Amino acid sequence: MFAYITRRVLVSIPLLAVALYLVFIGVSLTTDPRADFYLCLPRCQDGFDRITEVYNLDTNVWLRPFIWFGEALTGDLGESTTIGQPVTEVLRTRGWNTAMIAVPAFLVSAIFALLLSVYSARHQYTFGDYFFTGLAFVGLAFPSFVLALVIQNIFGVQFQNWFGVKPFNTGRKTGTNFLELLRDITLPAMSLAILFISADSRFGRASMLETLNQDYIRTARAKGISERSVVWKHALRNALIPLVTLWALNFSALLSGSVVTESIFSWPGLGPAFITGLQASDLDLVLGIVLLTGSIVVVFNLIADVLYGVLDPRIRLN
Amino acid sequence: MTYSNGSTPPPLLAVDDLSVGFHNREGVVRAVSNVSFEINPGEVLAVVGESGSGKSVTALALMQLHPRNTEITGDVIFDGMDLLSMEDEEMRSIRGRDIAMIFQDPMTAMNPVFSVGDQIVESIVLHSDINKKEAWNKAVDLLASVGVPEPKRRASQYPHEYSGGMRQRAMIAMAIANDPKLLIADEPTTALDVTVQAQVMEVLYEVQEQTGSAMMLITHDLGLVAGAADRVQVMYASRLMETGGVDDVFYRSRNPYTRALLDSIPDLETVKETLNSIPGNPPSLAHPPPGCAFAPRCSMAIPDCAEGVPDLVALDEPGHASRCIRTADIEVAVEATV
Repeated sequence: MFAYITRRVLVSIPLLAVALYLVFIGVSLTTDPRADFYLCLPRCQDGFDRITEVYNLDTNVWLRPFIWFGEALTGDLGESTTIGQPVTEVLRTRGWNTAMIAVPAFLVSAIFALLLSVYSARHQYTFGDYFFTGLAFVGLAFPSFVLALVIQNIFGVQFQNWFGVKPFNTGRKTGTNFLELLRDITLPAMSLAILFISADSRFGRASMLETLNQDYIRTARAKGISERSVVWKHALRNALIPLVTLWALNFSALLSGSVVTESIFSWPGLGPAFITGLQASDLDLVLGIVLLTGSIVVVFNLIADVLYGVLDPRIRLN
Repeated sequence: MTYSNGSTPPPLLAVDDLSVGFHNREGVVRAVSNVSFEINPGEVLAVVGESGSGKSVTALALMQLHPRNTEITGDVIFDGMDLLSMEDEEMRSIRGRDIAMIFQDPMTAMNPVFSVGDQIVESIVLHSDINKKEAWNKAVDLLASVGVPEPKRRASQYPHEYSGGMRQRAMIAMAIANDPKLLIADEPTTALDVTVQAQVMEVLYEVQEQTGSAMMLITHDLGLVAGAADRVQVMYASRLMETGGVDDVFYRSRNPYTRALLDSIPDLETVKETLNSIPGNPPSLAHPPPGCAFAPRCSMAIPDCAEGVPDLVALDEPGHASRCIRTADIEVAVEATV
């Protein structure tokens, strides 16, 4: 097991480096912080040169990421021009805010998706199965911006005193009292969770159905094992193996911030910051967020790989 | 088998008029039709037939492991208990303890995420009061008794680390863990290499002899049966075609289907140009032919064969019965060829 984890970690490091390098090239080629200056060029040559120097724009684009990495290793991710703070500070506050809705959204969606998967698989083609299938398709069919608006309208506007609608506040969402915080995160977390429950419960149902039809489930029943143990011990562990990948991807997507949902609920997370940064060619902010979210994706894939090994001896022992 | 006072003991398993039907869009597919048989304590009953003849479905129905959309009628009395009217919980206490089952494909019949030892321990702990540690030691002993080498080390290995033959041995160990009164082996060697088949059958017969349990051996391979079964029953298209002592069925068969099956066994002593096979395919159980289901493929069929399903008629030898309207003619044919 230890050797397996070590191997996975060692593979992750170059993976992260290559992924980040390619993303940086992409961002560098598409984002030019001097865009506004080209129109006034001879007149604003000073500003143009200053920005060229700050972002090392006269360096070859293939080498630029290395300069950025060098500075990043010393803890300097540059300064965000749109927010007016060091990028590290922006990442800290915004990342924390995003996590505050991402973690509950993930936990709720994982638990509900699992329960619905098991229910639907065990009651295949019954009314309950069709009901939840229909509900899942409705959830999937709703674009996230519509869903978020509907939820905001129902729970934030029609029933004002429940959750309310908040003005945008760029500060860190802590320090307030717990109940207030809970009220603030409920609606955005719910919007995100509904989307993931819809997708995951379909996937989980298929995985659970396939597992329940395996020969070893019949063997378990032939041993006289109770139905609960057959489902929650023998079947679940096998059915979870494909779900773990999905969950790792989901969680890393949630932690990377949701542009639409966070914007609609005026939630100062990574999503709105990323959009603002892109629109304003705030190169250091965009690169900083990409570094953070890229690392999250790689780390969660690593966690998924380790969980695979824990769940499945065939993977662990090969 | 007779007691000292001359009365015969009650059978361990008495199946009376068992029918199993699956519901599907076209209606009900009868996979087992009016099957009756008995198994005595310690006896080996072989159930022989082609794929789809209803032999596995019979076994699953006995264990109440049939799929949900299944209709079962008839009586199954095991050790004085009526299995078909039993509550789930009661049935679970019988499964794995009194009746254990060995399945066809050992590659898929074991849970890949639990060690072989754990899977045997689970069965032991479920049906007895001993603790996990004692159960583990028992599991190791069981693996040793079915010929798994280095049982201590192998017990903590996972199914994918076992070869097919070893896995089937482990399945046998799991099945005999609670000294069942009846062992149902559903095509236990079909998925194995030919070279391993004989070894596994040997282990199976050995443990059956040691534990003294009765065995219902389901197979399509008559050759497996000859040496070790006490009685044989031949199934075709959901019905019993012939039933009797192993010698009666092998040497005095009075049923054209059984004889066709026997003829299709390759014979090493007389070199033949081609292998004999039965022409045609088994009928659809959703739309069975009128009359005898084997008639369309039968070399002895006469027009009367299509008129109603023949009865299973008792013959001279005790326990020997055949379902064929030309039983009398077959006797003549046998004597003529001898």
